[in-house]
Amino acid sequence: MSGFSRTEENQLLARLVKDGDKLKGLDRRLFLRQAMGALGGVAAGVAAPNVLGNSNLPPNVPSWTKSLGEGVVTHPYGMPSKYESDVVRRTVPWLTADPISSISFSPLHSLKGIITPNGLIFERYHGGVPTINPDEHRLMIHGLVERPLILTMDELRRFPSVSEIKFIECPANGGMEWRGPQMEGLQFTHGMLSCCEWTGVKLSTLLDAVGVKPEGKWVLAEGADGAAMSRSIPMDKALDDTIVVYAQNGEALRPEQGYPIRIINPGWEGNTSIKWVRRLEIGDKPWYQREETSKYTDLMPDGRAREFTWVQECNSVITSPCPENPWKIRGWYEIEGVAWSGKGKIKAVDISLDGGVSWRQAQIKGLVLSKALTRFSVMLKWEGQPLLLQSRAMDETGYVQPTLSQLRAERGDNSIYHKNSIHTWQLKEDGSVFNVQLS
Amino acid sequence: MFSSLNISTMKKCTLAAVIGATLLSTLASASNLDIGRAPTAEEIAGWDIDIRPDGKGLPPGEGSVADGEVIYEDKCAVCHGVFGEGEKRWPKLAGGFDTLTDDRPEKTVGSYWPYASTLWDYIHRTMPFPEPQSLSNNEVYATTAYVLYLNEIVDEDFVLTPDNLVLIAMPNAGNFYRDDRPDVINERCMENCKDPASIEVVQSLRGITPTDHFKEDGNDGVAYQEEIGKTADIPSLFEPAKAGLATYQQVCKACHDSGLAGAPKLGEKTNWKARIATGKETLYSHAINGFQGESGMMPAKGGQTQLTDDMVKQAVDYMVESSQ
Repeated sequence: MSGFSRTEENQLLARLVKDGDKLKGLDRRLFLRQAMGALGGVAAGVAAPNVLGNSNLPPNVPSWTKSLGEGVVTHPYGMPSKYESDVVRRTVPWLTADPISSISFSPLHSLKGIITPNGLIFERYHGGVPTINPDEHRLMIHGLVERPLILTMDELRRFPSVSEIKFIECPANGGMEWRGPQMEGLQFTHGMLSCCEWTGVKLSTLLDAVGVKPEGKWVLAEGADGAAMSRSIPMDKALDDTIVVYAQNGEALRPEQGYPIRIINPGWEGNTSIKWVRRLEIGDKPWYQREETSKYTDLMPDGRAREFTWVQECNSVITSPCPENPWKIRGWYEIEGVAWSGKGKIKAVDISLDGGVSWRQAQIKGLVLSKALTRFSVMLKWEGQPLLLQSRAMDETGYVQPTLSQLRAERGDNSIYHKNSIHTWQLKEDGSVFNVQLS
Repeated sequence: MFSSLNISTMKKCTLAAVIGATLLSTLASASNLDIGRAPTAEEIAGWDIDIRPDGKGLPPGEGSVADGEVIYEDKCAVCHGVFGEGEKRWPKLAGGFDTLTDDRPEKTVGSYWPYASTLWDYIHRTMPFPEPQSLSNNEVYATTAYVLYLNEIVDEDFVLTPDNLVLIAMPNAGNFYRDDRPDVINERCMENCKDPASIEVVQSLRGITPTDHFKEDGNDGVAYQEEIGKTADIPSLFEPAKAGLATYQQVCKACHDSGLAGAPKLGEKTNWKARIATGKETLYSHAINGFQGESGMMPAKGGQTQLTDDMVKQAVDYMVESSQ
């Protein structure tokens, strides 16, 4: 590169690569080629092949090895690598009237293990995310109790706490597909699902503190958001495993997850886990709020409807391969996925490669916790054959995840919620994956 | 030296154990932790807003169908439709009778909701959408009465009160039953579970899922929104206005797309002309600090106080440029 010093040359090349980073594919190659040409054509000889995508690969020593990186607290709150910018929540714009009352989906295809990172937990709210000053927020517990109580957030933290890993799922997860497959990615077929370690005070502890009167059989939980979201929770659930939560995955709740406090009803439809909770009233009957009559009731073919369908029954899905994670070459792969049940632990997961004709038991990996996501896997040497991939989970009650045909035969097409059927991915000869249903 | 240190440490441990045991014995029940205080009657009354089907919780007051019509047309019809038919994807409130067994059932207040108390409770706690908990109790009675009237459940001269609300029989009451799942029993078959020849593969609909993050020919899923035409000429906007588009879609659109709460609709030039004539700074100020106008109320930052002033200004720029 005549007329440039070695240092200048390196700086220019680095600048070119950096600018080229903003472009993709053919655009990037054209840009670099033209830029190199402008520099005098020398780079086309030795340097060019390296700059065009391989300069950091062996046997070359990568640029990041020959330089220094950023110092501590350059980013006081750390963020993912810029190369992970596609790993985000997404919404389906046409699903709802307005983003203030809508839903976003977790990128299940990019997640590992059983914990959903705090920035990727699916969102569902009906009046937007309130900006609550914790110093001005209170939890009030009243109604059929001996000692009504109002707590500051500091006072709530003085009660003994628990930390529990539990999934949370919207009962409408998969609900767009009762009539047929229509979402082209795992994020949208199953992404109303996340799993966290939740820290807070068991509701039973607080109910002990206020002294529930014998006639107190229900708890109304109510949010402080613009929807004042409210649900009736029966006393046996409240005394069993409901938690008033202030932290998730080790840090304070995120605003969209209920900051400063929310309820978690483990294993139950997400809507009962009231966010931004401000009030718990104890009563002798349910309240029949809008979210337990107009919504979150399951319309059956005879025109009647199930109410208080709280439990999220046993479910599973393969997360790799999936439409977002195709198999690009032949060879060995790990078929992997998640299973979960609102009734307890996952007992077994089976995988079918032929659309449910035959099944083999998958390996369960890592922690197996009650009402938490559980990982399963099977190794497969793929020779390019087409597959109809399915997973079928069984929980510790012996309940086996049903087929969609079985659910439809019982419930018809219009019950919206609680579609936990066996899911099918069609893997084609070229390794691409499609969301399909089998009739 | 080591031994004395150990003894000292042991003493501390023993002491700590004794104190711990004392505390633990009193911790057996949370009822005597004595954390927090009792709320005052006034504090409870201010927050205790829930209403039950038996009328528990209903405050004194009343409202007529006639009064409700005025409120409904002013604050509700823009989303729910003049006849409760529902605009765009906002909920349909009226009609749909005898459709619950149809292929496409219409679940409305009249055709589906089991209790009138739920309607009162919901309007009171969160309606109208951009101004939750802004209606007086009498306005809630009146609006509830009008929605019942739209469903032909009460007559046009009806006046709703706490006493007669609990007597209203909703058409679909009695058609709900408690969860009886598990309703489907699947067997854990391992071999020859079905005839391979019986398998038919139903393909997914194409083009309605946002797929541009993993497909070369993907789309953003927005094409299914009816509003798409309004933002089609983005290239003509100045940079701040383009930046404001995101804020508009997240926050402002709720009212300014539909004209809710008297908001000037995006793109309606006649409605915007006089407003634009007051100058950008005035519009910025009204949007950031809130403003009570003749046709409606602009909440400060649209009620989204976490927005920066610049984000609000950019959204104003976007709306002005799209409406002149």
